[in-house]
Amino acid sequence: MTVSHHLTDITIQDYAAGTLSMPMETLVACHLTVCSQCRRRAEVADSIGGNLFDQAEPATVTVSAADLLARAAMAPDHAAPQTASVASPAQPGVPRPLSRLLPTGLEELDWRRIAPGIKRFNLSDQHRKYGAFQLLHLDPGVTLSAHSHNDRELTYLVQGSYSDEVGKFQVGDIADLDGHHHHQPVIDSEEPCIALIATHSPVRYSGFVGKIMQPFVGI
Amino acid sequence: MNTLVPNPSGKPSDTAVALRQRMSNNLAAIGQEQDEAAFADFYSYYAGRVKSFLMGKGMNEEISEELTQEIMLTVWRRAESYDPKKAAASTWLFTIARNRRIDYLRGNSRIEVELDDEMLDVETTDTDPQAQFVENAQVAKRLKRALEKLPQEQRQVMHLSYFRGQSHGAIAKWLDLPIGTVKSRIRLAMQSVRLSLEGEDQDLLNDYTEKS
Ligand SMILES: [Zn+2]
Repeated sequence: MTVSHHLTDITIQDYAAGTLSMPMETLVACHLTVCSQCRRRAEVADSIGGNLFDQAEPATVTVSAADLLARAAMAPDHAAPQTASVASPAQPGVPRPLSRLLPTGLEELDWRRIAPGIKRFNLSDQHRKYGAFQLLHLDPGVTLSAHSHNDRELTYLVQGSYSDEVGKFQVGDIADLDGHHHHQPVIDSEEPCIALIATHSPVRYSGFVGKIMQPFVGI
Repeated sequence: MNTLVPNPSGKPSDTAVALRQRMSNNLAAIGQEQDEAAFADFYSYYAGRVKSFLMGKGMNEEISEELTQEIMLTVWRRAESYDPKKAAASTWLFTIARNRRIDYLRGNSRIEVELDDEMLDVETTDTDPQAQFVENAQVAKRLKRALEKLPQEQRQVMHLSYFRGQSHGAIAKWLDLPIGTVKSRIRLAMQSVRLSLEGEDQDLLNDYTEKS
């Protein structure tokens, strides 16, 4: 996979500090899976955190190491298996951080049509808390309205491709838009384009279809 | 700066390298031999720092203490999985503490790359300088120096982000600065660190320089 659009330093630092929302983390982890360059940058960002740990002013702890180990010897291991044991259907072309969230294969998802050539699958019903977290299914040839972003939005290309003023986005690429990019994406792949999207702030819904598509289209 | 290890005569960076080596050895001894003395040494240096990290996010003392114990027990039980070639002991511990904090505050685990993912982009050659980040002693020294050289205003936002767990927006409010200023300080800090780690590799830096 040739990845040509990467995460920004800002997002990588935020991810390392652990201050991103779960949807944003998912997008970042998807790209890090397919991009060793960014994974390496994320490791550097982690090591900054480690360095700050060494410099920190310690608080007073009340339990000694020996007491802790004595107590642990009597108690079971709580910290045991994490999410890894959860079976997840392997889906070709879908990084694990995303495929874990999908109940079915991509095409079988319960897509909702929101405009001609555009379908949506919500990954979270907690928009008000987290912002939008969804997949968009866009037919070849669809042109999204010109729009700009005022807030952070991450888009990960799961399938197909699109082009806009920033460039051509293909599978594995991430559009890490932060600021006032003005663009008008055109779906230019032969197969439908599927994009995973997370926005930082809640989407404001209104009757206007453009508002519904705001996270991607941002009209 | 803190006095880090019983070697007060050494230069700060030498002291840091010695600490780093000692903590890495401690983890190896815990992992291989369940060495309780090694754990005690690791604990005496880091437990208080883990607790102060947790309290920084606004957790109360009781919960911070409880989670600190959990995290230190994770160190005891998982030390085997620590790879000194990949990361410093402090980095390994930081990621454990960060993830536990997220878990606790959010109620669901941090989302991370799974290294057995079929989609994983595995580095193709060992000689590719971009392929992997090896946090060896040399790199650790450079990293430390780079962080020390950062202007105070950049260090401050990095500290608030990593150590206080604040979002960039919250940092902006806290410091009464436009969010753009906070972000550009973080961006500059990240670039300086990368530049100092990658030294002469100017192309790489340019690749990652953001447009805005
Ligand atoms: Zn990348």
